Amino acid sequence: MLLGAALITIVLAVYFTASQPGALRDLVLAAALTLSILLAVFAAPALRPQTQAGHDQAAGSEVTHSGLEGIIDALPVGVMTIGADGRIGVFNAAAAEIFGVQGARAAGRALIEIVRNSELDRRVSASLRNGTTQTTEIVHSGAAERRLLVTTRPLEGGGKNGVVVIVADQTRMRELEAQRREFVSNVSHELRTPLTAVKLMVETLQSGVDETAREQFLRSMADETERMIVLVEDLLDLARLESGKLELRLSEVDVGELCRQAAQAQRPRAQGSQVTLVCSTPDDPLVIAADRDKLFQVVTNLLDNALRHTPPQGTVTVSAVRENGTIAIEVADTGTGIPSSALPHIFERFFVVDPARTRGHSGTGLGLAIVKHIIEAHGGTIVAQSELGAGSAFRCVLPAGLQTGEARL
Amino acid sequence: MGREDFHRILDETQQNVLRMGSLVEEAITRAVDALTRSDVKLADDILRGDDYIDDLNVLIETNCLNLLALQQPMASDLRTIAAMLDIIIDLERIGDHACDIAQITKNLANEPQLKPLVDIPLMAAKAREMLRESLDAFSHRDAGMAHAVPQKDDDVDRLYRKVFAELIQFMAKDPKAIGRASNLLLVALYLERIADHSTNICERVVYMVEGVPKKLKRSVIDFDQAIAHSDEIMQTPAPGGEQSSGQGLS
Repeated sequence: MLLGAALITIVLAVYFTASQPGALRDLVLAAALTLSILLAVFAAPALRPQTQAGHDQAAGSEVTHSGLEGIIDALPVGVMTIGADGRIGVFNAAAAEIFGVQGARAAGRALIEIVRNSELDRRVSASLRNGTTQTTEIVHSGAAERRLLVTTRPLEGGGKNGVVVIVADQTRMRELEAQRREFVSNVSHELRTPLTAVKLMVETLQSGVDETAREQFLRSMADETERMIVLVEDLLDLARLESGKLELRLSEVDVGELCRQAAQAQRPRAQGSQVTLVCSTPDDPLVIAADRDKLFQVVTNLLDNALRHTPPQGTVTVSAVRENGTIAIEVADTGTGIPSSALPHIFERFFVVDPARTRGHSGTGLGLAIVKHIIEAHGGTIVAQSELGAGSAFRCVLPAGLQTGEARL
Repeated sequence: MGREDFHRILDETQQNVLRMGSLVEEAITRAVDALTRSDVKLADDILRGDDYIDDLNVLIETNCLNLLALQQPMASDLRTIAAMLDIIIDLERIGDHACDIAQITKNLANEPQLKPLVDIPLMAAKAREMLRESLDAFSHRDAGMAHAVPQKDDDVDRLYRKVFAELIQFMAKDPKAIGRASNLLLVALYLERIADHSTNICERVVYMVEGVPKKLKRSVIDFDQAIAHSDEIMQTPAPGGEQSSGQGLS
């Protein structure tokens, strides 16, 4: 019995390993290896007599040993066994979590009494009846909708001894796949737009134009090339931040001074846009341990974002204060504001509220994602508040007690 | 038929009630999905799927009558069979309402959408939650849960009043919207009825477990009031919160 259970688990794990991409495959493989080693080294010799005793006492597919149940309970995928009589034997913790039910109520009950999903019920019944193995994706609507990859596999005896049901929650993976597709599509679009413009301008220059047009075209080509460089640099920064390969070089930084310098650098642009740029920092130094360049990038990105969304005669304010052992940096504007529906998404990669609303050309949609990563790498938090038509405020709170030295993100 | 067969058939019949329940639950969600996305193909699937629900209804009813006639069950078993005979009537009606919504999806398929649907999907989610919990109460013979479920009917009724008030306003402003708004009004009515059927199921569960028939809480909607105070009603925050906006009723 025990050997059978181990073999089934390993076979299933190998099956999942072969059929699943990426993270889930790694997860299942790790769980299967752990289970196999545990069974081989510790559990098997000790459990055999007790499992046999349990087999004598209990009918069918019921697994009685608490050690083995504990191991199955720890698996990251849902595992259920359904006896030939249609009753649930094993119902592990992951299955209970996936279906939003109390696992303790499941044993001995019919599957439909615990999990009301007609498709799952049909698949399990077919597997019991025909002794066939099936894998299918089903949708389960409980408190939330989940996409599940369900494999039903007969136990020894072609279904006469019941079936084992493995349930892998694919919801997050599907979301990530959608995000990846969107990411590739966004990058392609962002790069293709300036490339197309440069290509057209080169073709026009090759066909011969007058001196004035040539100068104008060359300026435009330089602008478009700069736009592509900024995008690629942002992408590289984000990739390094997300992969943890970027080193955070901590030193003592006066946040007030840093805000003043970042504001100074943006002042010509603010004047050009007829926006008042106010920098409000205390005279006393606000010293914390931080990566100066990265923090400068944070304030610059926030100012760039604010200036892009603030119409002429508006005001952008950058301020820094010490409060309750933390340092808070705030960039506020009197710009167009962000709709409440968009607010939860503004720190996502490539999220642009509405490109048509931005002044001049829109950003890459990466600036705020980079800001969030840098602030979090410093152990801080960032919060955005906004009122449509009245403006937005981004508030970063950094712990003042960070140690200087070198850290890795 | 021996006692062992009796209990086996009784168990199977209870499982079939839950099978019927799961099909009906899914039909509600799919029907409102089809309506939201104007998906005529999905609406056709729902209409076809109702035959299977009806077949289960007949099978359960036949099994229950056979058990009553051949076994003369008593006490708890008798109440369980009586409860099942009532519950399948409610489930069958809920299935019919899902079909009604699917039919409305087909009727409205070629018409421009009145506005993006917000509160109708919320109503559907609440009504389905009530049905799911009433069937959980039946499955686990949990009278406490059966008493608690009807309390959620207030949320559904509040949403219904809001949808009703908004659609009345649409009709008052634009006579061309009357056809579409009337259809959506019917959808909201069906969802409100689904919540009421779930309350019926809870009443049967309480009777099955406690042996005492009880009328559980249910509210009455005053439509004259809803029309007279439609502006005020539309300002009332919807249950379920943020997803619903003051202007996003239907």
